[in-house]
Amino acid sequence: MIAARIKSPVIYAALLPLLLIVFLLALNVGPVEISLGKAWRDWIGSQTTIETLILFDLRLPRALLALTIGATLGLAGAALQGLLRNPLAEPGIIGVSNGAAFGAVVVFYYGLSGLAWFMLPLGGLLGAVIAVAVIFLLVGKSRSTITLILAGIAINAIGGAMIALALNFAASPYAMQEIVFWLLGSVANRSVNDLYIALPFMVVGWAMMLYCGRFLNALTLGEETAGSMGFDVSRMRLILIIGVTASVGAAVSVAGNIGFIGLVVPHLLRPFVAYEPRRLLPASGVAGAILLLVADIAVQSMSETRELKLGVITSLVGAPFFLFLILKSRNTLQ
Amino acid sequence: MQIVFIFLAALAALLPVTAAAASPQRIVSIGLCTDQLLLLLADREQIASLSVWAADPDMSYMIDSVGDIPLNNASVEEVIAYRPDLVIASQFAAWNSARFLRRLGYEVRQIPPVKSIDDIYDLLARVGAWIGHPGRAERIIGEMQQKLDQIERRYRDRPRKTVLVYSPNGFTVGADTLENDIFTHAGYRNLAAEMGIEGFRPIALETLLAADPDVLQIDRDLSRPDSLATAYVGHPVLDRFSAQREQLDIPTRLRICGGPMITEAIEAMARRR
Repeated sequence: MIAARIKSPVIYAALLPLLLIVFLLALNVGPVEISLGKAWRDWIGSQTTIETLILFDLRLPRALLALTIGATLGLAGAALQGLLRNPLAEPGIIGVSNGAAFGAVVVFYYGLSGLAWFMLPLGGLLGAVIAVAVIFLLVGKSRSTITLILAGIAINAIGGAMIALALNFAASPYAMQEIVFWLLGSVANRSVNDLYIALPFMVVGWAMMLYCGRFLNALTLGEETAGSMGFDVSRMRLILIIGVTASVGAAVSVAGNIGFIGLVVPHLLRPFVAYEPRRLLPASGVAGAILLLVADIAVQSMSETRELKLGVITSLVGAPFFLFLILKSRNTLQ
Repeated sequence: MQIVFIFLAALAALLPVTAAAASPQRIVSIGLCTDQLLLLLADREQIASLSVWAADPDMSYMIDSVGDIPLNNASVEEVIAYRPDLVIASQFAAWNSARFLRRLGYEVRQIPPVKSIDDIYDLLARVGAWIGHPGRAERIIGEMQQKLDQIERRYRDRPRKTVLVYSPNGFTVGADTLENDIFTHAGYRNLAAEMGIEGFRPIALETLLAADPDVLQIDRDLSRPDSLATAYVGHPVLDRFSAQREQLDIPTRLRICGGPMITEAIEAMARRR
């Protein structure tokens, strides 16, 4: 366990420069070759040119969305794994993302999003809350991984069916084809408006999750112990859940359900933060951002016009990892 | 018994001949473009039913002529209820209804997709012959040609401009389409066609901006109910881009189907050069 002795500054010394590099790379990727230098100079000179439009109106919002949504998913994965004390908890796997997508679909296609800017992320949040409530109903105090996975399968199936139902009756002739976006996720052709409506919810959610770090540390010793250490367990749990649902709800409502980031990232990082949930949270956020930016760069590099959905890439990487985790923990499943 | 059968068979053999001789009297259209061709070319008494699209103000150029003609949703059950002697449809609209009706023994005629102004002339002549009004079709074709000559002469000296179309789902219009021929007749160069795009294909927003057309035509009037498809044409970068350029806003109903309304679209575009 050499890795366990590595202090967190070391992991950030590796992650933060990597995030910067990947972010700059993402700004460089696109169907058209542009000079970022020229775009920057035009922008400083407050000129609107093709270069400034492509960089600041298309690529920057997209990269920022990938960054913040990746961070949300990484953080939410680490938080849920800590809360449920279960290595397979993840917003996508336990059905929270599909719940959020259902909430967002209802708001988006039934004309509610025009009422106020916060209606769309709020719809996502409510859908996610319902999914979490059902999870707690089904799983209860059990720490069994099988129960959690089965509950996740059920909630995912219900969520997917509800999304299809809502899209089927939507007024827009395009609605039914768009189920792919909600189930597989994408940040293609999103604009700065999407960032504006999602970011406030995501930031509040991040703050709430990070606030619960010490509680998650205590929780590794069990609920009674956490309680005896002075934590109001049910209150902290509520804060954490609201944090997860607010940020995931907002992320899904503008980018659909992007799977497996929240599963893979905490697992990769755990050895580097001495298996401490509190330190795992921010590190997972940064690594999630990196991973989603990389996935989005891959998506854009593969084909120009008929873009692959982001969720396809993350699932191709994440699903085998999921299988690997199940096989690894097979003995503890019984 | 056998005699009755032979008699019926003989009658059935005779039927098509008599049907072809007389023009159809109970025509049902199950698509927008055939609706408008019927309204244009047929006698009102010949039209048994039109599709609901005929009365859609965004899509149909001829809503005022629909009047009390019953509308259908292109379902087989509805169509049969009108006991039609001719069903006309576009090749791709409601094609499964058309196939089913044909299997049930109804006379179904489908119009091919129109890809140029010349195709429209062919189409008018063909439908005119089907419904027994070839003279009417000839007259409309003549009027169209005259109008196009007029437009060509009136705007000949104006400079040619470059144009790009952006529609829901990020689609643009390339070569070998009616829209492309409309642009050519109106004195525009469609940059999508020059890029080598054929038919309707998605185009990346970045590619669209980098092509830097003089004129941008954004198809927004199909975009009322919220959807991701229409979010493409609502992207704020388009507003910022077109703030410095001209926008062409030719209503969909003028250019979605082949017919004389096309000349109106062409004139509106030529006037904006």
